[in-house]
Amino acid sequence: MLTVAVISPERVLFEGQAPSVVAPAHDGEVGILPQHAPMMALLGTGELRLGSGERFRVRGGFLQVADDQVRVVTEWSEPA
Amino acid sequence: MAKGRELKGRIKSTENTKKITRTLEMVATSKMKRAQDRVAAARPYARALAEVMANLHAPELAEQFPLLRQPATVRSAAVILLTANRGLCGAFNSNLIREGRQLLQRLESGGAQVELHAVGRKGIGYFRYLGRPMAVQRADLTDKPSAADAASLIDDVMARFGSGALDAVYIVYSRFNSVMSTPPTSERVLPVAVPARTGAARDFILSPGAEQILTELLPLAVRNAMYRALIETAAGFQSAQRTAMKNATDNANEMLTTLRRTYNRGRQAQITQEIAEIVGGAAALSG
Repeated sequence: MLTVAVISPERVLFEGQAPSVVAPAHDGEVGILPQHAPMMALLGTGELRLGSGERFRVRGGFLQVADDQVRVVTEWSEPA
Repeated sequence: MAKGRELKGRIKSTENTKKITRTLEMVATSKMKRAQDRVAAARPYARALAEVMANLHAPELAEQFPLLRQPATVRSAAVILLTANRGLCGAFNSNLIREGRQLLQRLESGGAQVELHAVGRKGIGYFRYLGRPMAVQRADLTDKPSAADAASLIDDVMARFGSGALDAVYIVYSRFNSVMSTPPTSERVLPVAVPARTGAARDFILSPGAEQILTELLPLAVRNAMYRALIETAAGFQSAQRTAMKNATDNANEMLTTLRRTYNRGRQAQITQEIAEIVGGAAALSG
């Protein structure tokens, strides 16, 4: 399982476990599963999907993966 | 009993004032609670940004980023002074204005051209009274400033710093340490001060490269500094208002006690006197 946090400037939108994450990176979607190598990617605009079913619309910001911790730090986001 | 009627009037008016201050106190208390929650909710974002920037930043990159440019001499600067739109909050606004004036003086005595961006009706009113020109006057921000409000304040300034038209940008705001401590603070937001890295650097896969990521993230950090200043000032205002209104209510209570005591004493003295007169009169008749 991955520990996921979705953070916007105003609040933390989601914090919890998910089996996978699909995020809209600047150059196309990236999928993240457990045991992913440490990564940092810029985000574009699109839909962030968690394997547990949550969906968020996000714009800008970045994504960081390390030790099965995924942090999605967005400039703007809201639940879709 | 003219004195008594006058006292009664004063008691009534003090009671009415107390009702108002008590209500304002309760309103401020509940607004403060929510403003405090917003300050707390904004922390994870700021922490995540700072951490990532510290990880990516290398001193040799500083030259390439306009937002990290460290001018040798500050020739032109901008000061963004945050105040509240309303009063009834003790010395909150005047403390911020004093801090702002000191900063302006310090920068100007260093030979810089300083432009003033006044946010909040109280600051605007003060500097209009002084006759100091303001580059920007904003009184349209509410008790609940949003990240979009912050961007609308800082984006233009950030672009001008990037192009070299400004050498430094400061925000004067009220830092929200706790309900009891909200000191006025000047913070330099541009050039961006990248926090020092803590712990060992990790090998991240970077997509795209470190430079592009930093180019994207630096403006986010500046906007976030502005946003934090806005929400902390909003929370500070509510807690200052609550304190001021609580003091006013306490004073009203104290005043009411004294007034009621004086009134009752007068009333009793009058009754005693009347009885004495009646008894005296009756004794004179029967005697």
